[in-house]
Amino acid sequence: MSFEGVGKRFGARTVLTGVNGVLRPGRVVVVTGPNGSGKSTLLNILSGLIRPSRGSVRYLQDEVELSRRGWLSKLGVVAPDMAVYEELSALENLRFFTRLRGSKADDVVLEGLLESVGLARREHRRPVGAYSSGMKQRVKLAQAVLHEPAVLLLDEPSSNLDEAGHTVVGALVAQFRERAAVAVATNDPRETAWGDEEIRLAV
Amino acid sequence: MLSEAMAVLGKELTGELRSRVALNAIGLFALTTLTAVAYQIGPYRIAAEDRPHLLAALLWIILFFAATSGLARVFVKEEDAHTAKTLRLAARPEAVLLGKLLFNLLLLVALEVFIVPLYCVLMAYEVKGVAGLVLVLALGSLALAAVATIVAAIISRASGSGTLFAVLTVPLALPLLVILIQGTRAAAESPDVAAVWPALRAIVSLAGVTLIASAYLFPVVWHD
Repeated sequence: MSFEGVGKRFGARTVLTGVNGVLRPGRVVVVTGPNGSGKSTLLNILSGLIRPSRGSVRYLQDEVELSRRGWLSKLGVVAPDMAVYEELSALENLRFFTRLRGSKADDVVLEGLLESVGLARREHRRPVGAYSSGMKQRVKLAQAVLHEPAVLLLDEPSSNLDEAGHTVVGALVAQFRERAAVAVATNDPRETAWGDEEIRLAV
Repeated sequence: MLSEAMAVLGKELTGELRSRVALNAIGLFALTTLTAVAYQIGPYRIAAEDRPHLLAALLWIILFFAATSGLARVFVKEEDAHTAKTLRLAARPEAVLLGKLLFNLLLLVALEVFIVPLYCVLMAYEVKGVAGLVLVLALGSLALAAVATIVAAIISRASGSGTLFAVLTVPLALPLLVILIQGTRAAAESPDVAAVWPALRAIVSLAGVTLIASAYLFPVVWHD
């Protein structure tokens, strides 16, 4: 994924100007900057959820540009304003997203994934609405990686998580950095340490 | 795509059966208006010659406004619960549209199964052409669900979406509503299914146009 001269305006307010970068497998890019500097906006643009006002974003596989559906199927995203379904259990959420992604993962695989993000087996069948915010964040992490994405975009991935949760996120980033392009928007010094490159945004 | 749409439908049904928000809103509205109509007008305060068209109109007024009280939720709740972005990234827009359209259609059918027999009993509404009425109700539900679903998608990201839903749905659904009343009246007056053909043709045309326009419009509405 490469982006060049990316800018974004919301009405009269300019949030981003001239941001460049490349995301490629094997490297973790951290996006840092004070509140309001546009970290989440940049990740939303990279995920295709909003269009940039200026500049371009290209999604390439083997030098061939991918269609919108093509790159959406390769994305895994965790963001504070992206939730999972509270009336469904964690396992039902993963079953649902598995069907949407066309994955063949069965309950054994999905329960293994939930355990790998630190969600105890006894919690898997309770509605997510009854979870703590940290437990919900773990389900969001599992949902983002269940289809083995080629690009993983993490916006404040450790928010609401305890120390053990932070370790889980660190392990996920380490696991995916070898085979996926990873970008992390954060101001947490422990998370910025995961990065091979840094994009620093200013207000 | 069909498997994805069925997944969306299954998710909607599971969520609704657990929360019952739309079911309660629609059911309560329909029951309240039906009770008010039955109590104030009842079966005998309308002249015999006026009964077929007045009772048909009252039936669709109850069904239509009950439906508008719950059908918008199908997209509004995704925005309110912050699940819309997650869904946008995971599902094809066509699958989302089809799954949610089928869910709204099932809600309408459930409403009709519950309200129409009750209405016929309370208002002593004699329908000579039951098969014709079933056809009008079934195809009318499809057309109404199609209108409500695409309008719900359009207004879901706006503030004051409840008011906007009514403002946009009423003019779009008004021609449909007129035809549905005519078809229901024809079914009430004649046991011959052929009596409702003109209404059915118009309903199918409106449903077809709405579905085709929705298929083109929805990906833009959903992603932009």
